[in-house]
Amino acid sequence: MDFELDTDQQAILDAVGVLLAQYAGPGRAIDLAAGDAYDFDLDAALADAGFTQVAATRGTGPLEAALVTEAVAAAGGMVSFGAAALVATGLGAGDLPGPIAISEARPPGPVRFASHARTLLVLDRKADEARVVALEPGTCAAVRSSFGYPMGRVPDALARSGDALGGGSAARLACWWRLALAAEATGTMAACLDVTTRYLSQRRQFGQAIGSFQAVQHRLAELAIQIEASKWLAREAAFQGAPAEGVATAASYALAAAAQVFAETHQLSGAIGFTREHDLHVFSMRLQTLRIEHGGVGAHRRALSAERWGRA
Amino acid sequence: MEFGWADEDARHRDEILGFLDEVLPGDWEAISKHGPGSDQQAAFSRTFCGEMAARGWLTQHWPEAFGGRDASPWRHAVVGEEMWAIGEPRGAQYMNVNWIGPAIMHFGSDAQKAEHLPRISSGDVLWCQGFSEPEAGSDLAGLRTLAIRDGDDYVVNGTKIWTSYVDNADFIFLLVRTDPDSRRHKGVSVLLCPVDSPGVEVREIPSVVGARYFHEVFFSDARVPASCLLGPEGEGWNVVNYALQYERVGAARYARAARTLDRLAEIARERGLLSDPTVVERLAEARGVCEAARVLTYRVIDERAKGLPPSPHTQLARVAGTRSDTVVANLALDLLGAEAFEYGSYGDANFRLAMTAGVAVGATEVQLNLIASRFLGLPKL
Repeated sequence: MDFELDTDQQAILDAVGVLLAQYAGPGRAIDLAAGDAYDFDLDAALADAGFTQVAATRGTGPLEAALVTEAVAAAGGMVSFGAAALVATGLGAGDLPGPIAISEARPPGPVRFASHARTLLVLDRKADEARVVALEPGTCAAVRSSFGYPMGRVPDALARSGDALGGGSAARLACWWRLALAAEATGTMAACLDVTTRYLSQRRQFGQAIGSFQAVQHRLAELAIQIEASKWLAREAAFQGAPAEGVATAASYALAAAAQVFAETHQLSGAIGFTREHDLHVFSMRLQTLRIEHGGVGAHRRALSAERWGRA
Repeated sequence: MEFGWADEDARHRDEILGFLDEVLPGDWEAISKHGPGSDQQAAFSRTFCGEMAARGWLTQHWPEAFGGRDASPWRHAVVGEEMWAIGEPRGAQYMNVNWIGPAIMHFGSDAQKAEHLPRISSGDVLWCQGFSEPEAGSDLAGLRTLAIRDGDDYVVNGTKIWTSYVDNADFIFLLVRTDPDSRRHKGVSVLLCPVDSPGVEVREIPSVVGARYFHEVFFSDARVPASCLLGPEGEGWNVVNYALQYERVGAARYARAARTLDRLAEIARERGLLSDPTVVERLAEARGVCEAARVLTYRVIDERAKGLPPSPHTQLARVAGTRSDTVVANLALDLLGAEAFEYGSYGDANFRLAMTAGVAVGATEVQLNLIASRFLGLPKL
């Protein structure tokens, strides 16, 4: 048991940090969002440096992939990194062309990254299989959305097509998808708290920094506890190779926390938090997407309960 | 960074579980539901801790020089989790091994170490904690109990309150003001005070938590030998801070909550409630809260294993631990319904043991203050 980064992990995160300083950050995310764009430059930079395949590289594994996923999310990277580095790699699906989007077999609405995706991973619970669908860019029509990511509508026929990944692949896809969501939510929540803490340390009302009031401090402290716990639960589940109970725990806890992080950071930031001139929305709106994807908190909780205590 | 258990620690967990199976009596559940402060549990703790000591496990995390085995904080955490989960058969002695002994090792004279440490590590002495006062609760630095040096003794006058375990205790780890002109954190000292000192009187404060849970301890010209002073006179605040860093995550509340939750899930299954998604989701929600407390506690244990100074991670873990107790206790009431109304029933006993979580050992609000300033770096008012 060791909660500190080892030298290799630190080196990986330092190198990722250099890329993210160049190709990410809330300002860049705001510009990209204005055109529903995908950050192909960041995607290529992460892939070229080997980070997308870090889980499948000798000497590193899913934990390192989760650490990078967290960092990319915390920097507001407009890339489908978790789907590539954790989900596709975890499934052993080979080096699939990116961007990668993940969808239910009957997607209830627009799918994150689908409008730009060249690969669609489909979770078909009914057929109990995961499928890989190759996409031509533009197959999934772009959908305008306020929720922080480029979205596309996956045609029904497309979601029913593809090459099956074989027995047990539905359960494995469900697990790696949960892990990716937990890691992304962790980084995104940390960014929400960081933006809010910095703002409330500077913003003065009633002659005081708002962040000095105890009523405000306690609410931020409560968020800090949940975000820290989310982080360690996700990292532990990654280290263990995405076991069903562990990822359901990590995802259900983190995404329940996400609802509170959204509500509290916006409430405490006041009107500036709703504007596109302030960074909070870059991260906070994404939390709602992560919270709802893959069946939402209720589905993660039911999965956790079934894994731990069995079904009725 | 990695999250695997060392083989030896994983094996030790199995050893501890086997030991518990072997030595806990058939009516342990009935004994344990009264809480670690009860007469039954206090009496049982002397037998049980003796058994642990005989196996070299009670204080195995202490240095060899003090009768320990230099076992890692991880090993100690394994023991703490399994003990707390089953209802803490060490009774109040968990405090002895967690922080009273280590505080004596760190600050004590040779004579104090020779007197107290062997008794603690053999498992036949009970301690309690004399910190809170009627006018010094969360704001502990407001304490007023005076200990004035008079020859070879301190003469103690004042009142301690909320003192658990004192009715069966041999010693009280007593925080006093030794300089009557001092204020706040200065002029404070710790006395290792025998509870049977003349002038010490104990009164139970009846409570809804359970019998013999809270007490007041009155000191009326109580004479305590000056040799009982722990550390330098006037430096007691350092002693308490050192001790509390151990205590705040000393009780593995999440382990008990997680075990209770497993039992609740079993009850839910027996009653056909696992087909109700509301029940299923609440069970899982509570499981997440327990697991959150576990990983945050492990974060602190990792710091301790590396010999790092105490950090605000302690406060995060502490608040999360109290939440796990509260969430599971509430769920138990909801799930068990009116049958929990009966005193001593499973839901009732569990609820009463959990209800003090956010207040005992320092209110959650104080922990949140510390998180805000030390972890988040928020400005002071």
